[in-house]
Amino acid sequence: MTDASVSRPPPLLDSRLEILKKRLFSNWFDGIVTLVAGSALVWIVVSIVDWAFLNAVWSEAEASRCREVSGACWSVIEARGRLVLFGLYPSEQHWRSTLACLVIVLTMILSCLPAMWGLKRLPALWIAGFGTFVILMYGGIFGLSVVTTEQWGGLSLTVFIFAGVFVLGMPMAVGLALARRSKLPVIHWLAAVFIDTVRSLPLLTILFAAAVVVPFVVPHWAQGDKLGRVIVAFAVFYAAYQAEIIRAGIQSIPSGQEEASQALGMSYRAVVFDIILPQAFRNTLPSTINQVVITFKETSIVTIIGFFDVTASASAAVGRGEWGAYYVEIYVFVALIYFVFVFGLSRYGAYLERRTRLHHG
Amino acid sequence: MADQAIKMRDVTKRYGDFDALKSIDLDVAKGERVVICGPSGSGKSTLIRCINRLEVHDAGSIEVEGVELSDDDDAIRDVRREVGMVFQDFNLFPHLTVLENCSLPRIRVRGTARADAEDLARSELTRMRISEQADKFPDELSGGQQQRVAIARALCLQPRIMLFDEPTSALDPEMIGEVLDAMVALAEGGMTMICVTHEMGFARKVADRVVFMVDGRIVEEGPPTTFFDAPREADTRQFLEKILGN
Repeated sequence: MTDASVSRPPPLLDSRLEILKKRLFSNWFDGIVTLVAGSALVWIVVSIVDWAFLNAVWSEAEASRCREVSGACWSVIEARGRLVLFGLYPSEQHWRSTLACLVIVLTMILSCLPAMWGLKRLPALWIAGFGTFVILMYGGIFGLSVVTTEQWGGLSLTVFIFAGVFVLGMPMAVGLALARRSKLPVIHWLAAVFIDTVRSLPLLTILFAAAVVVPFVVPHWAQGDKLGRVIVAFAVFYAAYQAEIIRAGIQSIPSGQEEASQALGMSYRAVVFDIILPQAFRNTLPSTINQVVITFKETSIVTIIGFFDVTASASAAVGRGEWGAYYVEIYVFVALIYFVFVFGLSRYGAYLERRTRLHHG
Repeated sequence: MADQAIKMRDVTKRYGDFDALKSIDLDVAKGERVVICGPSGSGKSTLIRCINRLEVHDAGSIEVEGVELSDDDDAIRDVRREVGMVFQDFNLFPHLTVLENCSLPRIRVRGTARADAEDLARSELTRMRISEQADKFPDELSGGQQQRVAIARALCLQPRIMLFDEPTSALDPEMIGEVLDAMVALAEGGMTMICVTHEMGFARKVADRVVFMVDGRIVEEGPPTTFFDAPREADTRQFLEKILGN
């Protein structure tokens, strides 16, 4: 430390401005780019605020003003929001759908807690969660009227499909990944062919086949419900991708880990569940979260085969009639719903990564 | 026969065209300490990895504590329970704490209750003088500490035989001592030990017998005094000159 630096502490704000100036206006070209990009940014933000807040109409009562103002017509959400959230579910039973949706979300949140992770606890939790959901949604007992799955819709359907796909698909993926590294050639080969076949088919085709083709080729008693078939098919699709992620995770574990556990006399089951899989999941956390987020958003594809999930319900809500002009508002609403879920998932992923890093700093 | 811990007869192991082990005969008595040495690629590691069947021998027979090693998986697991192994690269489980590394195998393999397994783990960690690290994760420890945890982990299963596969080769020089000290203490407790190592000081101090291998064969064996001071074979003399740096 020289005397000069002691006597003249650098003013923090000034030095930050200096750095900004140096980075953004270091020559005339940079200066122009900064100005153009900066004004574009300001214009976009101002326009959005103007549209979404300043010139917006908020309540359904004022809906008549929608035609006069330049801003958003949020009245449409009060008027049609229920359709988005509940789809075709009978309106006097909406409380059941709300409750069912909360049950699944709660089950998801609970199963995210490390305290719930166990080969007995987790399945018990999900059986209870799905059981409650189906009783609430389908009814038929406890004096609840029957609502068939064709009438299910909106957010609770989206959440149910996602949870079903994940909960069925993840064990399938683990099974496939383990089968793929089996020492028995037949099992290894079958798993590889299965994964490659599923991955080479578009999701849409698989879902179509499950919804439309299966009734023609499978005997009636084995067909099950259309929604159930779609969830199973979707889960198979998810499992094929997730299995490859897990396999990559397994391959990244040094062979010494398996040797050490074998040398200790541990059984195959113990080696896999206590040593290999925990490390494989830890190693592939970012790609697993990625795949889960993609799957959540892709649930909107069930629209095509006639289910009214959030996205389908949204387009139905503005499809015809007086609200047709306000589809942007409805889709912004739907986007916010997706954002809440996906943002929650990725924050949870970040938490898991931090947690494992803390343990292996 | 009851005195025999390990009995290998005419054991052969091939990798493709390469003969890693050529007709090995080796008996190890209960409580005996055997050091195996030899140039790299001579089959030392392969030999001890055959004893707990991490490598499957192609011909000959291996009996461990009276159990013949075959394709019978239950028999192999019985043998592995009785045979502890320490690796060059430690191979601790990185996602488990030191304590869990030691207690989990005990719980899974011997069905011990968690509390008892943890007590046992703590006492083995104390014996290895590393109990204060029990709640850390392996990558927070030095190499020497990790290797001592690895020894404790193997001891938690209360094995009758311990195999060491170059336990100090991956260590920084200043950490070799602490691991060797732990092994000497173990040897003084009467454990049957087979140790692949280049630590000739350790061999001289602890071994009942030194086995010297070249090209998949046992070339010379004998008590350390004879082996170091009056080696019969030219190969042995050459090897000792290199390794002892005379």
